[in-house]
Formats: sequence, structure tokens, C-alpha cells
Amino acid sequence: MGGVLSSVLGGGGGDEAVAGNESEQSRVMKFSSSARWQLHFNEIKESSKLLVVDFSASWCGPCRMIEPAFIAMSAKFTDVEFVKLDVDELPDVAKEFNVTGMPTFVLVKNGKEIERIVGARKDELEKKVLKHRA
Amino acid sequence: MHTYIHNIQNKHKLSSSFSFHYACNHDFIGLLTRMLLLLYTLQNLSYKYHFSSTSHHYLSLLSLQTHTHTHSSALFLLQLSLFCYIPTSSSDLPMAVSGFEGFEKRLELRFFNDSITNNNPMGLRLIDFESLDQVLNEVQCTVVSAVANHSFDAYVLSESSLFVYPTKIIIKTCGTTQLLKSIRPLIHLARNVNLTLRACRYSRGSFIFPNSQPFPYTSFEDEVVIVEESLPKSFRYRKASVMTPSNSNPSRAWHVFTASADVEPDETLVVVEVCMTELDRVNARSFFRRKGDEGNSDSAGKEMTRLSGIDMINANAFICDFAFDPCGYSMNGVDGDRYSTIHVTPEDGFSYASFECGLSLYDGGHGDIAEVLARAIDVFRPGCVSIATTYNGEDYDHEVTKRVERVLAKKLGLKCRSRLMDEFPGSGTVVYQSFTPRRK
Repeated sequence: MGGVLSSVLGGGGGDEAVAGNESEQSRVMKFSSSARWQLHFNEIKESSKLLVVDFSASWCGPCRMIEPAFIAMSAKFTDVEFVKLDVDELPDVAKEFNVTGMPTFVLVKNGKEIERIVGARKDELEKKVLKHRA
Repeated sequence: MHTYIHNIQNKHKLSSSFSFHYACNHDFIGLLTRMLLLLYTLQNLSYKYHFSSTSHHYLSLLSLQTHTHTHSSALFLLQLSLFCYIPTSSSDLPMAVSGFEGFEKRLELRFFNDSITNNNPMGLRLIDFESLDQVLNEVQCTVVSAVANHSFDAYVLSESSLFVYPTKIIIKTCGTTQLLKSIRPLIHLARNVNLTLRACRYSRGSFIFPNSQPFPYTSFEDEVVIVEESLPKSFRYRKASVMTPSNSNPSRAWHVFTASADVEPDETLVVVEVCMTELDRVNARSFFRRKGDEGNSDSAGKEMTRLSGIDMINANAFICDFAFDPCGYSMNGVDGDRYSTIHVTPEDGFSYASFECGLSLYDGGHGDIAEVLARAIDVFRPGCVSIATTYNGEDYDHEVTKRVERVLAKKLGLKCRSRLMDEFPGSGTVVYQSFTPRRK
């Protein structure tokens, strides 16, 4: 849906992309502009779908460590939305969400933060996603 | 259990006799079983045996004598005495023959920062995770949890911790890990991101089970040889030192080896390494997994952090914790550019906890070093504590040393039994203090 919207609005390429390689069926969405992100966030607020936001950075070792697991989770939980935001590309959004440690996973439902996990804690993340996906 | 073998002379006789003493504490049943098995074996060699019992200052004594007469020199005359000793107090219980080694080996590698620019400020943090994981494989440990901030990456390992800063790596591993195997691969990986080694520091306390360590960790001299072989020949400033308190029992020395290209240390943080043994048993119980906890090491770790009071040591720090099964705990603390790390082996008989942090002596906002140490040590209430402080680029301040001793005496009743100092070119002053509780 977001992909269609961005091409209809004639948005420049690279504002939104699917992260990870194609063969892994990654469903992780990536936003590089605050405007695009805000648009998307406003949309998903209306639904009761669970949103998992991964705040990470290209130079953050632990972020790179958990990335394969995050991608796998996105493929597994198709009723949940997975988004990846780079704190260098979107510093204002990182600040708005009070991100200090990385990776930080924020679980959002109906526009509100319901859980937060700081650190590459794969088991804990999966547990929380399972808990809140309904 | 104390095994004792006497060889009673006589090479000229056809038979020789051995006296085999077996002193045990509370394993009477097991011992009896082993004795009966031994008897059965001996029976097959057609012994003639008789029993006798004699009184002894131990609670009971069973003496078994076996004799054999044979013309074969391969068969022996065996005399077996069996002592049974029931301990009357916990101090009679011997130390475990071998248990998990809590004392860590610590390696610090520092690199020149001339390739660190505004365009490329991340240095070592650019090394890909798979490569780091491979190095850790060589050392025989693995990552169990991790977190990062703008200053560094912090990994909790199956056997301690790894910290990656742009120009500095700190690895601390316990158990029987092969830490020194990481030096060459790390230097190589650093070169791939255009970083050259500037200084190396290897330190450790004294192992609780020194004989369980693999080569070269059975002797500090051997460890030093291995480190030196892995370093560039151009490192002119090298020093190895074993700081041994004259009065400690058991002798807990502090071993340090440093080598660097420069004589002036470049490091700005003071490093404090605290080693604690004989942990208070009640406090140590916090670090055992409970039945019915959610089975998740992350959340169990969080519980332990909270229950033990570790989260109050530095309230500013974010804590990345992990609980091992069935017991054991590790955490890394992240606060700006300052790291801290705690590792706990709670089992009675070889209980151990370590606390390490990098901090600045004079930055009031992060807490006075003496207070931080008092809070950390109070979590464990150990019977024995040692503190090794490395000043790096900071000038040695004797007031700090004295204040730490005063605060620990006043708040925790710990008396400083020894204080040693040594200078390491390129690495700064190291102060090594040992404490035990003051007898009331």
C-alpha cells in the first residue's frame, strides 16, 4: 500500500524501500524521510495492526547482529508490520521516540507505544510480538 | 576428599605393599560403594584378607588388609586403610576439586586514531559482526546479548564481555577460554578498516582452579610469551609484573602485561577492576534461576538486576543483562562513553563476582568512584575483595586511593590488608588493593 502511494504521489526513489535481500521474503519497510514516515505512521494509527519499529544505525554492531532475526520475524508474522528507521537519517524521529540505546524496538498499536525493548534481545522481542499481535 | 598413597619400600621382595588412605568428608556412602567394588576386583586376584578395626582420632576407622603371595612381581601386596571423617563445621568442608572459574582474563587493544575522521568516525565499529563472531569462536565463547550507543558497542558473551569503541577493544573472558588467540585476528580485522595497533594490555587475577586452565594460562610467563609473539616487534615499551601481596591467604596476585608503541598513555578513562570471592550466600541466591520464571534469559536477567540492586550502582546507565541456566549472571552497563560490567558465578565453594568500569575521576555527574565501588561491592558482601585501578593518562591521585579505603571501611567494614603500586610505560600507574572484613 505504501509503495503504491509513493509512486502515485510521484515521490523520489529511495524514500521507501524494502530492506534485506529478496530471497528472504523480507517484509521490513524502511523510511529515509521524516515526511514519508509521518504519513505512514498516521495511516497505521487508524488500524489496530501491531507495528514494530527498529531504530538502528549502520555503524551499530548489535543492530547488524540482530538484523537477520528481525527480517525472519517479518516473514513469519505477516499480520504484523515491521519498520526499520536509521537514527542518522531520521534523528528527529529518534529523538521523538527517546532513543538512546540501539537497537531499540518500539511496539506501537493504535498510535500508542505499548512496549519497548532496548538491545539485541531476540527472544524478548519475539515474545512481545507474539503477545501483542492479536 | 584427600587421597594419599604411600609406597612402602622393598624392591627386592617379590611383593610390595601400598598403604592407601582415603580421607573423605561427607561422601561415606559413595566411598563404601567404591571400597566394595575394589574388594570385588581384588577377590579375582585370589587374595586372602582379613578385617581389623582400630580406634583413631577420627570418628571411625575401618582397616582392610589384603595380602597376596605370588612369585609375579606384577602383583602387589595391598594394604588399605579407610578413614571416615564427618565434618563438624562448614570450615572443614574442602574447596571443590574443580568448579567454574570466575576469574577473568582481560585483553585491551588500542589503536592509532589517525584514520578516524569526521567522514569515518566509527573505526573498529565498522568491523562486521560475522568476523567478530568468528574471532569469539576461536576464543570459545559466543554473544548472548548486545546493545550500543553513540560511543561504543557492548556485547554480553557466554563467558563475559566484549566492548568495541572506534579505537579500542576490550575483551574479558572467564572459565577456560583461550583469550590470547584473539589478538592476531583482531589486529588483522583492524587493519582491514585502516587501523594500526598502538598498545596492548593483558591482565588477570589468580585463578581459583589454576590447574584446570589450558596452556598457556597455567603460567603467567607462558602467557606473556604468547602475547609478545602476537604483537609488532616495534613496540618498544613492554612490562610484565606480578603484584603479590605479602600477607594474603590464599595468595591472590594481580598479573599485568603491557606493551605499547608510545611511552605516554593515550587512554582517558581510569579503569577499575574489582574481583570478589566468598560471596554472601543469601545475596548469591539472587543469581540462581527460579522455578516458574518465564524461561526467558532476558527477562530473568532483568529480574536479577532489579532484585540484587545492581541497577542502583549507576542509576544513569542503561543495563544489558543476561541470566544463565541454572545460575550465573552477566551485565554490561552503558552510560555515554563509560562502560561497566558485572559477572557472577554464585555457586558456593567457588563463588565469584567481578565489577569493572571505565570512568573519569573528577566528573561529579557520574558519581564518586568510592561510592560507586561501595555500592557494587555491597551487592555481594564478599569475604574477599581486590581492586586494581589503572590510571592510564590520568595522574595518580593518592587521595582517591585513601578515600576508597576509608569509604569501604566505613560503609562495608572492609579493611585494606595490602596496597601495591606499579608503573607501566604507555599504560600508567596501577594500584592493587586487597580487602577482607574487619573481625568484630
